[in-house]
Amino acid sequence: MFKALHIEWLKIRHYRTFWVLSILFIVAVLGINYISFEVKNSISHGRGDVLLGSPFSFPKVWQTITYLSSYVLFIPGLFIITLITNEYSYKTHRQNIIDGWSRATFIKTKLALVFIVASGVTCIVFLNVLLFGLSAGSGISFENIKYLFYFFIQALSYGSVALIIGLLIKRSGLSIAIFFLYSLILENVLKAILNKYGGSSGNYLPLKTTDALIPMPFIGDIFPYQPNITTALIMSGIYLILYYLLANWKFKTADL
Amino acid sequence: MENNVLSIHQIDKHYKNIQALRQVSFDVLKGSVFGILGPNGSGKTTLLGIVMDVLKASSGTFQWFGETPSAAQRKRIGTLLETPNFYHYLSAVDNLKISAAIKGVDESHIHTVLEKVNLGERKHSKFNTFSLGMKQRLAIAACLLGNPEVMVFDEPTNGLDPVGIAEVRTVIKQLAAEGKTIIMASHLLDEVEKVCTHVAILQRGKLLSSGSVQQILTDEDMVELSCNNMAKLKSIAPTINGCTRVEQNDNNLLLYFASNTAALDHINRTCFEGNIVLTHLVLKKRSLESKFFELTNTQN
Repeated sequence: MFKALHIEWLKIRHYRTFWVLSILFIVAVLGINYISFEVKNSISHGRGDVLLGSPFSFPKVWQTITYLSSYVLFIPGLFIITLITNEYSYKTHRQNIIDGWSRATFIKTKLALVFIVASGVTCIVFLNVLLFGLSAGSGISFENIKYLFYFFIQALSYGSVALIIGLLIKRSGLSIAIFFLYSLILENVLKAILNKYGGSSGNYLPLKTTDALIPMPFIGDIFPYQPNITTALIMSGIYLILYYLLANWKFKTADL
Repeated sequence: MENNVLSIHQIDKHYKNIQALRQVSFDVLKGSVFGILGPNGSGKTTLLGIVMDVLKASSGTFQWFGETPSAAQRKRIGTLLETPNFYHYLSAVDNLKISAAIKGVDESHIHTVLEKVNLGERKHSKFNTFSLGMKQRLAIAACLLGNPEVMVFDEPTNGLDPVGIAEVRTVIKQLAAEGKTIIMASHLLDEVEKVCTHVAILQRGKLLSSGSVQQILTDEDMVELSCNNMAKLKSIAPTINGCTRVEQNDNNLLLYFASNTAALDHINRTCFEGNIVLTHLVLKKRSLESKFFELTNTQN
């Protein structure tokens, strides 16, 4: 697997889009957290607040930063879609097989890459937690570090959905459009319909499940809405396994 | 069996409404230059796609080197399938580094193969700046990586100019002379005839015939005759020495002879002695092209 990942690295290290998206992601994470940080400060003048609490102080900052950062998880998703649809449009997915990779190696490498990208973005978010938490002037605490793990699950989930869409659609423009349409609009519509007629099943749609792991931090203290984290974790695990199986099945049986 | 590099058994492939291959079977002997000949859309690329595992056969099996197919076998085969497939944003060298890494070939070999296809000067240029001919040459370079014992070329001279075509054919002949087995798909009869030792002819997914090139693509002499008494001529014609068969087209009778054996004086004399005065007598070399058309048309 290390050798296969090294080959994957040969593919992306000179790919400008990879570097541009990486920088964009870092800037976007910093940006979205900074704006919220400033807005919060301008409301409560740097002190704790009855309404908002102290979202940027440890240990609350773990939840705040991971929650805010999850809004830019579409960027690594975009990167994954680009990588897989590039292979299709250059037909290099065929060439890799022709040159002597098994179909299993190809798809497992892509899945491993999703894992690595999710780890990478989690590291960046971790650094942001430290940066904003320490800037807020509180002592460091790892009490809520579980949110970092939830964020990692969420990143894995967005990356896998992006991979699946790329594998099924094959064309980059259409894949990106469907990815955005689904994650921003369609899933919310589905959730609303399902929750209206089917209890709370709408909360367990693929991306909603992982979104539920990190509840909105600002109003949490006054509206103690506590989604069932255990159920959400189990459902997330099931989805991740399904993505893994679907990606493998699709790539191993299809005409390439 | 151990002399077969590739054995194909009754491969069928159908897409929704199209039967792309029907019960295709043949063997490729070690050391042969095996041409798969057929018009566009006859299933050549589909067949090669199946044996390289990028397409799945609907039924049927194949073996490489007498063993069940595996990814490891493909590392021993240099393949150019349909189009040159490379990462557009990478240079020639960076693209070959990926192929070499997958094949487990040392990177030092990259320089050698690029020189062999005359791309040494452009090796650091990006793939998307290449002309069609250069892309094709890069794909051939990728095939040569690791000096594999078997090569599969799908339309290797596609998109090349005449000089490029000649170069590629020279390369293929050199490889054949080194004892390598080459499997080559082409819609160009002339190419197969010039380069191959064996041939399989595909048409609409069906194998029409396969065997050695001499056996399948023999040249013939054709003689056109006419006179005022065609009925009588017809009765005499088959008795002429060396005549293999007789056909009629509009106003002429066509007599076929093995290559370079038709003797016009002898034909003329035989007819005259049979009280026929010929009004028309022409020797025509029958081209392989027409033979190919004949082979592929009879099935229509």
